[in-house]
Amino acid sequence: MIKAKSSKIGDGIVVFLCVLLILLCFLPVWNVFVRSLSSPQSLIKNDVYLWPKEIDFTAYSLVLKDSKYNWSLAWTAMLTVGCTVLSMTMTILCAYPLIFDKLKGRKIINSFILITMYFSAGTIPNYLLFKDLGLINSPFVLAIPFTLSVFNMIIMRTFLQNIPESLRESAEIDGANPVRILISIYLPLSTSVIATLSLFYAVGRWNGYSDALFFMPQNKTYYPIQLLLYFIIQSKESVEAATQEGFSTPGASDAIKAAAVMFATIPILMVYPWLQRYFITGVTLGAMKG
Amino acid sequence: MTAEAQALKARKRYKARLYYKRYWTLYAMLALPVIYFVIFKYIPMTYLQIAFKDFSITKSAWEMDWAGNNGFEYFIKAFSDRDFFYALRNTLMLNLLGLALGFPAPILLALVLNELPYKRFKKITQTVAYMPHFLSWIIISGLALQLFATRFGLVNTVLRNMGFESIQFLDKPTNWVWTYIFVGIWQSVGWNAIIYLAALTGINPELYEAAAVDGASRMRRIWHVTLPGLRSTIIVLLILRMGYIVASDFDQPYAMSNTLVTSVSNVLSVFVYNRGIKGTQKSLAAAVGLFQSVVGVIFVIGTNQIAKRFGERGLW
Amino acid sequence: MKKILAFLVSTLILVSVMAPLALAEDAGFVDGKFTETRTITVALFDRNTDGAIVGDNVYTDFIKEGMLDTYNVNVEFEITPRWTEGEDIATYLAAGTAADVSYSYNGPIDTYFQQDAILDLAPLLEEYAADLTDLTDFLGTNITWKQDPYTGAINAIPARRMNIARINTFVRKDWLDALGLEVPTTTQEFEDMLIAFRDNAELLLGDDADMMVPFAMTEDVGWEANNILYSFVADVDTTDKINYIYGYDDRQFLLPGIKEGVRLLNKWYNEGLILQDFSLYTAGDETVGNLMKAGYVGAFEANWDNPYRNGEESVSYMLQQAQGDDAIFIAIDPFQNDAGLTKKVNYQSNGIYIFFPSTNTEPLASLLYLNWMAKFENRFFLQTGVEGINFEYTEDGTLKAIAAEAGRYKMISSNNGDLTMIINGLDLGDVEKTSAAMALGYANVDPELIKNAYAVALTNGVSYSNISLGTVAAEDGMSEVLKEKRNETLNTSIVASVEDFDAVFDAGMADYLSSGGQAIIDERMEKYTTAFGE
Repeated sequence: MIKAKSSKIGDGIVVFLCVLLILLCFLPVWNVFVRSLSSPQSLIKNDVYLWPKEIDFTAYSLVLKDSKYNWSLAWTAMLTVGCTVLSMTMTILCAYPLIFDKLKGRKIINSFILITMYFSAGTIPNYLLFKDLGLINSPFVLAIPFTLSVFNMIIMRTFLQNIPESLRESAEIDGANPVRILISIYLPLSTSVIATLSLFYAVGRWNGYSDALFFMPQNKTYYPIQLLLYFIIQSKESVEAATQEGFSTPGASDAIKAAAVMFATIPILMVYPWLQRYFITGVTLGAMKG
Repeated sequence: MTAEAQALKARKRYKARLYYKRYWTLYAMLALPVIYFVIFKYIPMTYLQIAFKDFSITKSAWEMDWAGNNGFEYFIKAFSDRDFFYALRNTLMLNLLGLALGFPAPILLALVLNELPYKRFKKITQTVAYMPHFLSWIIISGLALQLFATRFGLVNTVLRNMGFESIQFLDKPTNWVWTYIFVGIWQSVGWNAIIYLAALTGINPELYEAAAVDGASRMRRIWHVTLPGLRSTIIVLLILRMGYIVASDFDQPYAMSNTLVTSVSNVLSVFVYNRGIKGTQKSLAAAVGLFQSVVGVIFVIGTNQIAKRFGERGLW
Repeated sequence: MKKILAFLVSTLILVSVMAPLALAEDAGFVDGKFTETRTITVALFDRNTDGAIVGDNVYTDFIKEGMLDTYNVNVEFEITPRWTEGEDIATYLAAGTAADVSYSYNGPIDTYFQQDAILDLAPLLEEYAADLTDLTDFLGTNITWKQDPYTGAINAIPARRMNIARINTFVRKDWLDALGLEVPTTTQEFEDMLIAFRDNAELLLGDDADMMVPFAMTEDVGWEANNILYSFVADVDTTDKINYIYGYDDRQFLLPGIKEGVRLLNKWYNEGLILQDFSLYTAGDETVGNLMKAGYVGAFEANWDNPYRNGEESVSYMLQQAQGDDAIFIAIDPFQNDAGLTKKVNYQSNGIYIFFPSTNTEPLASLLYLNWMAKFENRFFLQTGVEGINFEYTEDGTLKAIAAEAGRYKMISSNNGDLTMIINGLDLGDVEKTSAAMALGYANVDPELIKNAYAVALTNGVSYSNISLGTVAAEDGMSEVLKEKRNETLNTSIVASVEDFDAVFDAGMADYLSSGGQAIIDERMEKYTTAFGE
């Protein structure tokens, strides 16, 4: 079929917008990358924008050789995978039963859960609770307390609700119990939302550092990579203290900071393209079956 | 009891048994999440009572003394602080602007991406678009300075080279607000679009073909097929977002603020941070936090009801 | 669950309040030593220093052996990240997990004491005075620094700050030479010098002329222009009384006369003599430091040794790398007040505050820890290290620090500052020896520059005496808020136009005062007149 001319113009506009967007989003990240490859002198002159000046790999060699970065990266990856699996399991366990209109107590449970999204206790109460549970400075504090996100659960539930009830009803008539229905019908149709939420959980865990900062400050072995990064990069508070102390410790150079940022960011950036193949049409398959 | 009543009762019991036999697995599934919520959300919540009490480091929340004025002293203290109202105003202003501009943005992005004819290009654009989300606000504020500083920022240097005057992106309160919103959108649009893109895959392609056969132009197809397909996702996300209308993020305002724009950059989270966390007025901080939560819930309930009026399913 | 938690927590509180009372008279302490081994925990900061092993090195070993030997006390270190010190302390105190010996610079210690979260040290200091002579001798008046004049309670002891040099003004010597200028000795000459820098940008910077920054500052104007502003305070107003009432703000913001100093900065700003974006850069931002290192900055004010710190990463060293060996910053002293004196604020002798949480069950052992640390031979070793590895003697007998290899001998921070918390700054026992060693302690920097900077920073220095009249209730929880308003007022009035200056400054000051500043002044005024009369 020959494409109409207006459609071609439309395509053109769309492509133009996308190119603009790519530039806007990519260039700043590119800038950080480029800085990591530049020499300290050129960074000081604030000369580096689009191209590395006086290419210098020392920052990377320092970062890559340092075992504490490598270990932290590996550990964070393991932690992320484990947490994502745990979180997705909890999310599905929570969301699925709530799509059954006939379930007694459904409304109460819904409100019960929703309230926790807006009322939260805060850091000190959490700290005290974790202390009583023995979670302070334990790596488990990174995995358990924040494992289920109500927001994500609601997304999952909404998605599951949009799958035609006819599919479920016919299975129920055939005598299938809810677990079987979940496994044989809902899960296969939910690959795109499962992929999406897994991505959300994974990125949340990978990028998160404040829970380690508050609740696991003394267990350096299990610092997530972003916490390591945080200590290298942040400088706002440190100067006040340095002023008082009369001595200061040299912070990391600009190049090392940039290299560390790249080191900590690139792995997770690669996850989405990899997950994209799971974003296939789920509902259409179901419609065809029906 | 009459025979009829007995039969009714028996039938009810039978139905109940049937119900539990069929649905007990669902309750079993819910058990774990519910326990989780009780332990990790509700128990710590008992500490919210410190909003009504005089905070003391050494006493447990149950032992602390009740605050003056029937426990409302810290609420009164907060509301009578002029800075509190500036903070509230700033929070609302930034959130509403952010909502008006930032909520449609990912939807538009998803629509634009959906119209891309080249699959490879689409994949690349998606991946690149969500990169900014991964930079922490500390890094982004550094980048923003590099770009927008009046004297040494790249944008202004280019403007001056082209013969224009510098623009004070970060020095003047009004300009700062726009810069703040723009940077916020830049950081989140690609990421937020992911949900919509996932939802778009759920739209039946046959609907598109049918529309094309009917001779619908691109815009009409978007209006009649794509958007309706996204409708429930949009509504849910909007309701959820309304709950955060007085909540305030901390990272972005704190990282991007400077002393010249505190009249607009001091939001409630910064207000609380300065007084409650750096200072010692934990009860005040808790009172403000509680206020934010309550208002948020009211907004969520309100929006949910409105959505239901329009025939949507709502959140509960 | 809630009830159990509440019960546990309240029992814990009860026990920890009882404990110090019970230990007021320690029967297990005989002849200056404990009969049974006691254990204490001491907070130790972690700065992520490359190559140093924070909890396990020759210095921590030295401390542990020494304490065991001398007092039969076992010391365990609790490591916390340095930069989160402020917030963490509150959390640890609330949870009852703070180390027995804890530290804080600016924490709300009085509030902690009011809430019974930390101990009163006065009774023990009195009871065991004979065993704590090293401590009391070394700290001198610092011991009673925070003593409440009405109750006699001492809730914290400040470390002794050995080096009270505070802020210096630095200028590019080579630029002065290039323009044939003398080193400025008055404020007017300084201003003329800045104008000369601005107008001769091509001569000084060639192609980079548009990068010229005559005077650099960051958003913390109160610090980065402190000497200039202070020179506008009348000489008669540099008294302890004025400081007590109006100087509680660490930037001298409320001292009479400051406004005219800010007006001068406003004038300079409008003439293009001050870095235009200064208020966007926090003090920690590298951009301004980088401008100095690249050679674009003519003058600035900062900590007395600011450009010389950090060896190869110092402003001084990198400047020479960028612009040649002649490019150096020297400390100068031009800002005269109305009496012709270049007065500048020096530090008082208090450093970080040391306190004991109320969960501390061994307060005597903890005080003895501080006493042990105060003994000269102990702190000398901790501050200097091992000869040949951490330092060496030069020909004329001056001690010179050398960078140790990574490993157990490497110090976490300069002069092991994090271990020797009782002392802030180097002390070799002799003032001459110490200054000489200090001058050699800056790698990659000419010692003469250090000596000059140090001398200048102390010239006409004003080190206020400590006046302790008890807690000022109006200050509770206000410090961060007022700090923000102070910075806001200073910065907005500097960038305002010359005509608007008065309006902006006055409005900002009014806001500061009405937000709690005035209440503090009033309370302090009252306390002072009650104690000392008019």
